[in-house]
Amino acid sequence: MIYFDNAATTAASEKTASTLAYYAREKFFNPSARYRKGIEVKNDLESARRKLLILLRGEGNIIFTAGGTESDNLAMFGTRKRRGAEIIISAAEHSAIYASAMELKQQGYNILICPTDRAGRVDEAEFSRLVSINTALISILHINNETGAINDIGKLCHIAKSINPKVVFHSDGVQAVGKITVNLQAMGVDLYSISAHKIHGVKGAGALFVKKGVGLAPRLFGGGQEGGLRSSTENTGGIISLANAAEDCISNLTARTQRVAQIKEYLLGTLSQIDGFLPISDENSSYFILTFSLPKVRGEVMQHALEKRDMLIGTGSACSSGKAEKRIADALMLQDSYRDGIVRLSFSGENTLDEAKVFAEEFIKIYEELEKYGGK
Amino acid sequence: MAANRINTILLRYGEVFLKGNNRSFFESMLVRAIKKSLDGIEYKFIKERGRYFVEEFASDDAPEIISRLKKVFGLHSLSSALKVKSSIEEISQAAADISPKSGTFRVSVKRADKRFPLRSMDIAAQVGGYMLFQAPNLKVDLFNFDFELNIDLRDNGYSYLFYEKIICAGGLPAGTGGKAVLLLSGGIDSPVAAYQMAKRGLKIAAVHYHSYPYTSELALQKVLDIAAKLKPYIPDIEVYIVPFTQIQYAIHEHCPAEYMITIMRRFMMRIAERFARQNEALALITGESLGQVASQTIESISVTDSVVNMPVFRPLIGSDKEEIITTAKRIDTFDISIRPYEDCCTVFLPKNPVIRPKIKDAEHYESKLNISELIDEAFANIKQAEI
Repeated sequence: MIYFDNAATTAASEKTASTLAYYAREKFFNPSARYRKGIEVKNDLESARRKLLILLRGEGNIIFTAGGTESDNLAMFGTRKRRGAEIIISAAEHSAIYASAMELKQQGYNILICPTDRAGRVDEAEFSRLVSINTALISILHINNETGAINDIGKLCHIAKSINPKVVFHSDGVQAVGKITVNLQAMGVDLYSISAHKIHGVKGAGALFVKKGVGLAPRLFGGGQEGGLRSSTENTGGIISLANAAEDCISNLTARTQRVAQIKEYLLGTLSQIDGFLPISDENSSYFILTFSLPKVRGEVMQHALEKRDMLIGTGSACSSGKAEKRIADALMLQDSYRDGIVRLSFSGENTLDEAKVFAEEFIKIYEELEKYGGK
Repeated sequence: MAANRINTILLRYGEVFLKGNNRSFFESMLVRAIKKSLDGIEYKFIKERGRYFVEEFASDDAPEIISRLKKVFGLHSLSSALKVKSSIEEISQAAADISPKSGTFRVSVKRADKRFPLRSMDIAAQVGGYMLFQAPNLKVDLFNFDFELNIDLRDNGYSYLFYEKIICAGGLPAGTGGKAVLLLSGGIDSPVAAYQMAKRGLKIAAVHYHSYPYTSELALQKVLDIAAKLKPYIPDIEVYIVPFTQIQYAIHEHCPAEYMITIMRRFMMRIAERFARQNEALALITGESLGQVASQTIESISVTDSVVNMPVFRPLIGSDKEEIITTAKRIDTFDISIRPYEDCCTVFLPKNPVIRPKIKDAEHYESKLNISELIDEAFANIKQAEI
């Protein structure tokens, strides 16, 4: 199988699998327990927390959650803001932020949506016009999950804080950690979301970084775990493997990035020969995501046809399904003929150039076969 | 009645009675369907003249048993009942124990056991009297009652006490009406059509036309999920997947766009008919409703009908969409049907399909196609899906 849908999820690493088994079968004790075995697990959790803070250069706290969506929700709903305050998000945010913002709108907050360019990158000039003294919260994703566009979070955060020093700046870094260098102190963000399963950890584990001094109110109430900010018995195996996975990805970031960059470059070079090929990811986007659109065959149809040949990819647009896809196609200002032709290839360090070669050949063959019939 | 006192489910069957000489066949099919529906639950099944009883189950299982039996075609109604020995003392005591302690009530007695020393009216009077004695806040009112206690005195030495009749699916037992082939799309209508025809006792084999790679694995899964929802009603339902893309390619290439759907439908009907003949089915079923879409005008239906030579049942032909949706929601297929995946009909969809096609034109356009070869190829690749 050739798996080019790593932005959707990745295979857990062997280390993740063994860590999970270890904390499920052997060190299964409740970290809140007062006996030694429980305290040991608690210590492991705390080392994972410290490890993540060091890896991401964060000064503050890490709240472990059940994943990126929960971290985003905690950031959006947990920050203190007066009723009617303004919240800025980008037009190409992940649904976890977009849907949360729509809910906050229902609750009486004023949501401002910052447009992006055709690659999905936030328009910085427009952004600086939107920030004001009324802005309470900003959420801009670090790397766009659909296009791989990298937002300059450090710059955006600086712009925002220089207009309104009190603003709380959140960034969804789910597609960024382990894919580019993340330095939380340098960027200056207040809140930052992380997920384990995008970097060979496991589904159901994530974290929210909270900068020192930033106030947050819990969304889940109960036993008071995570400093009262996220009650629920900790997913110990998931959390510890998250820290390990981040460590593995970050420690060999350069080597991995080089390998993935070659794959992306090869595929872009080869597939762009297709008549009408429209690149969506631009040259400054993440090496791990290559998104483009084709005029004559729907992305979804390419996905099904490739699946039969044991090659799995993502699509941007299922023409009849998914409001999110329509929103993203709008944000990217795609022409009609390209709206449902979006294909997203996303890579991991486990992919090889040989896979890319086999894939490109097969992809072009299928596209040429199917474009004869159109069917769009 | 307190749930833990239910020890019997009393089943009544409806139309089966009407079937004279065929009665034993109908009954055996009904019993088979009942037993199949209760698969995995421990119980004892007792068959008596005019009644069935499900007994000796764990009392916690009663709601599940009732919910399953309500979906068995051929059953008219059921009641959860308390079974006691047929003695006036036991009946009276049980009646007083399980009944509410206040309000108005009546007692109705059916005495099948003519050896029993008291007559119906006397039993009702004695049991009612005992209930009043035990609960002074009760009051008898034969016409304006809060509850009616029914006592069914059977000739097996036992009596069954129950309050209400729960109406079941009705219709005829599965498989008593022969076999038909359903064209199952994944939309709202065809599952409802299947339900309605199964209600008349038809055994159903469904064919689904799949346009890989234009329709997805999720679209296919949708059809299987629908079939799984139909299973409680149609225990023997089978689903066959027919590859349809090559036929669509051929039509797309050789026929005018506005006739795409008409000719596609004609192919679907031909394949379904051939499949029916090979599988001893005598009719086709579709979910068409007159005038709902371009392919369901009277002209379109006559053009698609003209290629087959067996009855085509269209149980929804006179139904409004709202009526169909109501049934779809009741049988729980609606939420699956509205999942947004494409079916083969939405691929190559022309902007302006012909609304009043003519048989002559359809035949003319089709003359450019090698119909039998295309059908043979599709046939060679039909696969039965597991539900």
